[in-house]
Amino acid sequence: MTNSDGQLYTIEGFAAGLIMLVTAYLVLNATSVYTAGDTHISDMQLETLGSDALTMMGTNVSGLTMSPLESTLEYVIDTGSYPNATFRTMFLNLTNNRPGSVLDYNKANSTMDYIQFTANYTCRNQDNSTSSYPISWSRNLTGGEHTVRATKWVIVNKKVCGDTIQEDRAVLVEVLLWRD
Amino acid sequence: MARLNDDAQWIILMGFLVSFSFFFLAMVINQSTVVGQTTAESVIEFPKNDIRDVRNVIGEEVNIPYPDNLTVKNDITVLSLNRKGAVVNFPYFTSGNVTYIHIHYNNGVTEYNENWSYL
Repeated sequence: MTNSDGQLYTIEGFAAGLIMLVTAYLVLNATSVYTAGDTHISDMQLETLGSDALTMMGTNVSGLTMSPLESTLEYVIDTGSYPNATFRTMFLNLTNNRPGSVLDYNKANSTMDYIQFTANYTCRNQDNSTSSYPISWSRNLTGGEHTVRATKWVIVNKKVCGDTIQEDRAVLVEVLLWRD
Repeated sequence: MARLNDDAQWIILMGFLVSFSFFFLAMVINQSTVVGQTTAESVIEFPKNDIRDVRNVIGEEVNIPYPDNLTVKNDITVLSLNRKGAVVNFPYFTSGNVTYIHIHYNNGVTEYNENWSYL
């Protein structure tokens, strides 16, 4: 003997089941793009920090002296030796200084959490192509880092990029910064 | 056959209200990340530091005597284009005691023009 009680509840159950199935289908089928707004904000802050640090290094105490960035760069151009320790210490101090911590910047492969950088300068060759040369770095780039770039113009009085005579040249200092 | 039971309609109505409010809250959260992203992106995209820096170096370049200034001027134009993708142009001339400079900067997104003169 069939019992016809509870038919409305059965239909309701089917409807609820269908709604759940459709929901699950929509969720699983959706294409999600995980772009956290936070990454862009921290990129922006890191870029500003790098630009500020470079601006401070490129500011001279008086019109008669060279800025630390300029003298360091002229030293690197003169001697051709890199990585330059003065640049590294100064840049890391400017970008990583915070109260209550003493960081050992000279440990090149330190596991400490601070902002890493790699810096180079670019000059113009005689044929109007450009060449880049390293200045300093705190760690080697492996290619997986998410870097931002900060740049600063410096006018040096050196033979750069195959100059035959010593003259004023504008070179572009480029720094890639990242957190790890 | 089960009869329709019209008790507890208020409770169901309130349930609907609560679920819709959840829906709107989810939309607010969804939009908030997009707002933060576009704001930060537009800040990153705007070349404020580039323009300031190039103004600064042009100010130095103008004071370099001939013919070194031509080399430096070429450096700035070529390096801006190659390394920053920005067209930078700054013709200047001296008339009497006054030097007039026109700075032009364009990186495809932002264009900046400036005229200044000094004694």
